[in-house]
Amino acid sequence: MARDPRHDVLFEPVRIGPRTMRNRFYQSPHCTSFGAELPGAQAHIRGMKAEGGWAAVNTEFCSVHPSSDSRPLVSARLWDEDDARNLAAMADLAHEHGAIAGVELWHGGCVAGNLETRLPARSVSQMNDDSLYSTSCYELDKAGIREIQGYYVAAARRARAVGFDIVNVHASECGSIMQHFLMAKYNRRTDEYGGSLENRARFWLETIEQVREAVGEDCAITARLCVDTLNDDPRGIRAPEEAYQFIQLADHLVDFWDLQAGGWVAAEWAGDDAVASRFAGEFSHREYIAAVRPATRKPIAAVGRFTNPDTMAEAIRSGVIDIIAAARPSIADPFLPKKIEEGRYDEIRECIGCNICASRFAQGAPIVCTQNATLGEEFRRGWHPERFTSASNAEKTVLVVGAGPAGMECAMVLGRRGMSAVHLVDEQDALGGSLRAISSYPHLGEWGRVTSYRRVQLDKLANVEVILGTRLDAEAVLTYGAEIVVVASGARWRADGMNGPTQSTIPGAEHDFVHTPEQVSAANGAIDGDHVLVYDTDGYFTAVGMAEMLLAAGKRVTVLTPYANFATFMFFTGEAFRVNRELRAQGVEIVPLHLLGEITPEGLRAQSVWAPDPVHWEADAVVLVTQREPRDALYHELRADPDRLTQEGIEAVYRIGDCLAPRTIAENIFDGHRLAREIDTPDPETPLPYLRELPDANRERSLQESIPGGPPAMRT
Amino acid sequence: MSGVLVLGGLAGGRLPAATLEMIGAGGALCEQGAGELTVALLGHEPEAHVQEVNVDGVAEIVTVAAPQECFEAHVHQAALEALIGARAPAVVLAGHTLDSLGFAAAVAARGRHGFAGDVTALSWSERGLRARRGAYGGRLIAELEFPGKETVLLLLRAGAFEPAGGAGRATVARLDPELEGRARTEHVEFREAAVGAADITKAELLLSIGRGIRDSEQIPRFERLAELMGAALSVSGPLVEAGWAPGALKVGQSGRTVAPRVYLALGISGAAQHVAGMSKSQTIIAVNSDPQARIFDIAHYGAVADLSEVAAELERLFDRREPAG
Amino acid sequence: MKVLVPVKQVARLGEDLVLEGPGPPQAEGWELNEWDAFSLEAAVKLAEGPPGGEVLVVTVGPERAEEALLACLARGADRAARIWDPVLEGADPLAVAAVLAALAATEEPEVILCGAQSSDAANAATGVALAGLLDLARVAVVDAIECNGDRLTVHRELEGARAEVLRVALPALLTVQTQINEPRRATLREIKQARAKPLVTLGLSELGLDPAGVLAAAGSRTVALAEPERGEGARMLEGSPGEIAARIAELMRADAGAL
Repeated sequence: MARDPRHDVLFEPVRIGPRTMRNRFYQSPHCTSFGAELPGAQAHIRGMKAEGGWAAVNTEFCSVHPSSDSRPLVSARLWDEDDARNLAAMADLAHEHGAIAGVELWHGGCVAGNLETRLPARSVSQMNDDSLYSTSCYELDKAGIREIQGYYVAAARRARAVGFDIVNVHASECGSIMQHFLMAKYNRRTDEYGGSLENRARFWLETIEQVREAVGEDCAITARLCVDTLNDDPRGIRAPEEAYQFIQLADHLVDFWDLQAGGWVAAEWAGDDAVASRFAGEFSHREYIAAVRPATRKPIAAVGRFTNPDTMAEAIRSGVIDIIAAARPSIADPFLPKKIEEGRYDEIRECIGCNICASRFAQGAPIVCTQNATLGEEFRRGWHPERFTSASNAEKTVLVVGAGPAGMECAMVLGRRGMSAVHLVDEQDALGGSLRAISSYPHLGEWGRVTSYRRVQLDKLANVEVILGTRLDAEAVLTYGAEIVVVASGARWRADGMNGPTQSTIPGAEHDFVHTPEQVSAANGAIDGDHVLVYDTDGYFTAVGMAEMLLAAGKRVTVLTPYANFATFMFFTGEAFRVNRELRAQGVEIVPLHLLGEITPEGLRAQSVWAPDPVHWEADAVVLVTQREPRDALYHELRADPDRLTQEGIEAVYRIGDCLAPRTIAENIFDGHRLAREIDTPDPETPLPYLRELPDANRERSLQESIPGGPPAMRT
Repeated sequence: MSGVLVLGGLAGGRLPAATLEMIGAGGALCEQGAGELTVALLGHEPEAHVQEVNVDGVAEIVTVAAPQECFEAHVHQAALEALIGARAPAVVLAGHTLDSLGFAAAVAARGRHGFAGDVTALSWSERGLRARRGAYGGRLIAELEFPGKETVLLLLRAGAFEPAGGAGRATVARLDPELEGRARTEHVEFREAAVGAADITKAELLLSIGRGIRDSEQIPRFERLAELMGAALSVSGPLVEAGWAPGALKVGQSGRTVAPRVYLALGISGAAQHVAGMSKSQTIIAVNSDPQARIFDIAHYGAVADLSEVAAELERLFDRREPAG
Repeated sequence: MKVLVPVKQVARLGEDLVLEGPGPPQAEGWELNEWDAFSLEAAVKLAEGPPGGEVLVVTVGPERAEEALLACLARGADRAARIWDPVLEGADPLAVAAVLAALAATEEPEVILCGAQSSDAANAATGVALAGLLDLARVAVVDAIECNGDRLTVHRELEGARAEVLRVALPALLTVQTQINEPRRATLREIKQARAKPLVTLGLSELGLDPAGVLAAAGSRTVALAEPERGEGARMLEGSPGEIAARIAELMRADAGAL
């Protein structure tokens, strides 16, 4: 398909000071947990995007000094030349693919817990901040301010020395010392750095100016600014008022603007930065950007979970932004720009807005993506999202039983690796497996993109047959004629109340007024009874979906959970605050810290986590969202008779996804992908080891020995 | 062989509107030198319809009475063979209909005539007849000629030709071929199709709604409009993602592929993934308030208008009439 | 009961078309005509019912068409035949019907099931032309088939989602509409075993035909093939919402039945 001329505007170059972006696609700084300490992983995750057509790729937030240490969250660092050397790999790889590289300089002020470096936090005012670790800090005096500014300058110089093209002074997501100086909420200073708007902006303006002076001739200078804190606090930043003025004050200091709204720090999550798809669609912060647009004529980059080239083109043509910034869409599809450029629209893998990516960072773990199994594996496993080697056993035929996320992914990758014939069979009359019901949960429609994308790609693969509405029992699988069988039969919610916290079933779960999530889904929430109690030990989206579905069906809903919060996992995806607030506002009764002990027709016996005394609850119906169990009977039946397998010519039987162990959709897709990538290794069932970037102990020791008076323990 | 013979087959005791289009097409050929225009009325009590086809350009009307009331393919085959034998036309025009599909090609094969179906344009010159039709699912246009064929039988697509009108001064004649006993099928009964859950891939008419409807509350209104129009309701992808409609109604590359007779797209922008699922529809009509909407590139007819207002007018119109079909 | 199923392998065109004169354009790939999957399934079902039988699939096509025949053999056909001669390149329905008629005459099937049309040319003519040449009773465009001994009860599709129920005595030819059944999918074993089933290749002379005769039987000749004029876009309807609605209603009914 030829590119739609309406999208040509996206491929116009944009001049940003001394540098030029070859198109309007800017991979917005985003977290990976790779930092400067996994240089291979860092370079390759960004390099892949550069190869995929992003004109500019950026690091995540990059600490400029040990006094801003984000542990257990992982930032990039530019503390010394070693950090710079590590990040150089990223700049080099970006350049190799025709992109420019940017670094987002960050000092967290009081937000930095400094758990690794153990330095006292310091910020605009003495306070206990509102971040996760509520750190206490000291107030910077002027000398301290100069020092911090010096850190930014030094870091900028290091960045330029190793080839970075963009230097970004971060003042956003409510997690930056810059933003704390800007906001009256944190800035209680009485000197020239506090008080009036101009005073509050002074530190920020001076820093940008110094950075510009140091590297501005070679590097494009930008300032990532939060234009609206998206909450009701009058001390927040408002787009048409303070933000407008901030931009006017700094406009002469930047080559372009990188603007966002909302925060990613505890209390500010109510006004999200990376908005999950359950709350909003593309460019949901448009009005805030539009409100400040008239303040500057410099190019504006802004994110909006852009996946649709029409939305992007319209945003550019309307003039509200000049550069399409994207984090999550670049994660789901590093080749998004190239695919649009080449008119390969139906190959675009769209972000589903589940925020699993952010949830890994929030747990201090490497980034992953539900839609893109290769995300984060570019270096350590050498996986390329668009390239697949031919399988050395391609003459074999494969039967994949189950077309849920794992099965679809496995069949798709096997197809791309040239297996002579792959049959993907499912008993349902449509693809998707468990995702069919899940994407029908209220607000999760975009999760259906996991299926839509794979449906289209599977359709294109001449060597893959999709066979629906067909249930295969063991005999049918044995006589199917495939040499390789992959069982991807999924999992089911347990109806007996077996749960993690107590490792027991719940007596009374067999009553017919007790339901599983599948049953509630099938009835679209319209089960019998007016008052429904949802018992949740799963902690993620299923119980939320149940509550919403039951509400929509007119039920009165109580949610009982032994955890301190309902939907506790959603703190990692940034959805917890809004989900809890909205459900409470709709009348859902949320009861945390309680275990459900027994279900009888007369009532429910629960108990507080803190005390064993029984607490009585009543409800007309109960929904148990406790745990899932694999539907693996088929797998075990097949494996039980190895002689029969040999007789029928079946060389291997594998299981993937939920039917091996119930997990998140992201892990299931990864599972299917990995098996297909490694189907021709000697032992496909066992994942190959991946590259680990370990520090060199000898190097560390010799470094320490070179420091006069270094730690005695290092001297042997 | 000379002259054009238009086969006006009766259906359900009535003369299809498309007959006048065939007469128009035939008349144009005659003006280009194909000879005289004859219209044959074939069916039960054809005399009753003579005046309906006595229009401008028609030289002769021939009635052929079929022995039975319902259409029977073998009877019509015999009748057409007799007509061709009697009138020796250079061109025979019939409609590309479910009825004619039952016998026209048989007549052409047996008589070694020229033949083409679903023809959308034709012309006559000293070289003879030239016809145009779609090819490769309508992706291409083919121009056909019929060298060495004294008689060419064409099935014309309805709606592709201008209908004839005015008043004619045709002579009327009768042909009485032996049609008794030519039937080879036995009519049992007529049946309405089972009214099950609408499978959008089987619908003849589709009313398809997109993001332009703005509000999920509007869906029942469009469901009702679809029913009034005798159409099935389908949707574009964004409505399914927003949770406003089930996946079974989705038209698109990752949904259903449809090719109805008429696809009426309201508030659909025409993104590539959607178009891939409906581009083979025979007639695409699009209403969108955005004049730049891509749907207008592939629609046959378009209107830049407020779809709510147009929908209200359609409701008014169809409420008064009986549902189509 | 012997059922003959003529099938066609149709071209799948890519995004960019390369046209060279009136000949068929370059295909991106080939697939079995969509309608033929349904007629094949209907045939296999008939042969599976009492008193049993066999299904013979036949296609007029070059070597690449064997793939389509193998797909049919994998899905229940018993034998296959491919007929080809270079003169048949781009043959029209009447020429194809003449060739099929020669084969049918040697096989004498009780039932011939054809797809109602092919997805490429969509003349919807080959089946009925074949019936005409063989002087077989036929019903075109059926969406239901029931076998009652020596006759078939079928539903003939009518406009407006109605149907006519007819009975026809054997031998007969039917052209079959899509959605009449659920075509079965072949397992990998059936696909592999299809290669062992009989598949013969026949030239015109083996059927007592000659190229000149086939050419003479053809009903038309394509003299030009072109892409439709681009950039035409839609014919825009003007006026008030009421006028637009009226025009839409007209367009929706333009093809409908009676005056």
